[in-house]
Amino acid sequence: MVAAKKTKKTHESINNRLALVMKSGKYTLGYKTVLKSLRNSKGKLVIIANNCPPLRKSEIEYYAMLAKVGVHHYNGNNVDLGTACGKYYRVCCLSIVDPGDSDIIKSMPGEH
Amino acid sequence: MVKFLKPNKAVILLQGRYAGRKAVIVRAFDDGTRDRPYGHCLVAGINKYPSKVIRKDSSKKTAKKSRVKAFVKLVNFQHLMPTRYTLDVDLKDVVAVESLQSRDKKVTAAKETKKRLEERFKSGKNRWFFTKLRF
Repeated sequence: MVAAKKTKKTHESINNRLALVMKSGKYTLGYKTVLKSLRNSKGKLVIIANNCPPLRKSEIEYYAMLAKVGVHHYNGNNVDLGTACGKYYRVCCLSIVDPGDSDIIKSMPGEH
Repeated sequence: MVKFLKPNKAVILLQGRYAGRKAVIVRAFDDGTRDRPYGHCLVAGINKYPSKVIRKDSSKKTAKKSRVKAFVKLVNFQHLMPTRYTLDVDLKDVVAVESLQSRDKKVTAAKETKKRLEERFKSGKNRWFFTKLRF
């Protein structure tokens, strides 16, 4: 049983916030750079697509637990997450380094 | 947002000859050095784990089974898996970057870490660190 049905409204708001981060903030896309950003404690929020392989997902969650960084499980697969980032390629995981004008970091960790 | 690759952190090596072995970070170089322009750290780890000691063993056998073979290495952060465990063993005076320059200095450093790790094993603490990772 899914914890809470992700309504269309919250899903859109994540997309909006993500678009604002892409425009005004700093981020890294991709598994290798996500781990790098967690290791040198630059990452502030990690977003993982829902079709991420479970071992990789657990690994990123473990690193985020050690670094005390929030993880957001995006409601969509890597194709959707890439589109939400405004890219024409698939993005399985991304790390937000500097949110810019967005309030994604303040509002997101309350959800998961 | 918290740095976790700090001294005394227990890690597992992922690549190289010591893949799958547990080690403890002695010194971390987050920004790298001139020779190694990437984040890396000096680790001291277990090469050969101590065997299982049972009650039936004589004291000579216990001593033989509780032996630990240690190693000292400079490893890239990418080739480590950090864990939530820590190991409070004072190895800073024994293990230093200079001890990796020549063979005999490396051997003495490894021997000294072997001694410290063995006494930690015999005290019964940090049991997780001295059990082999099964994979």
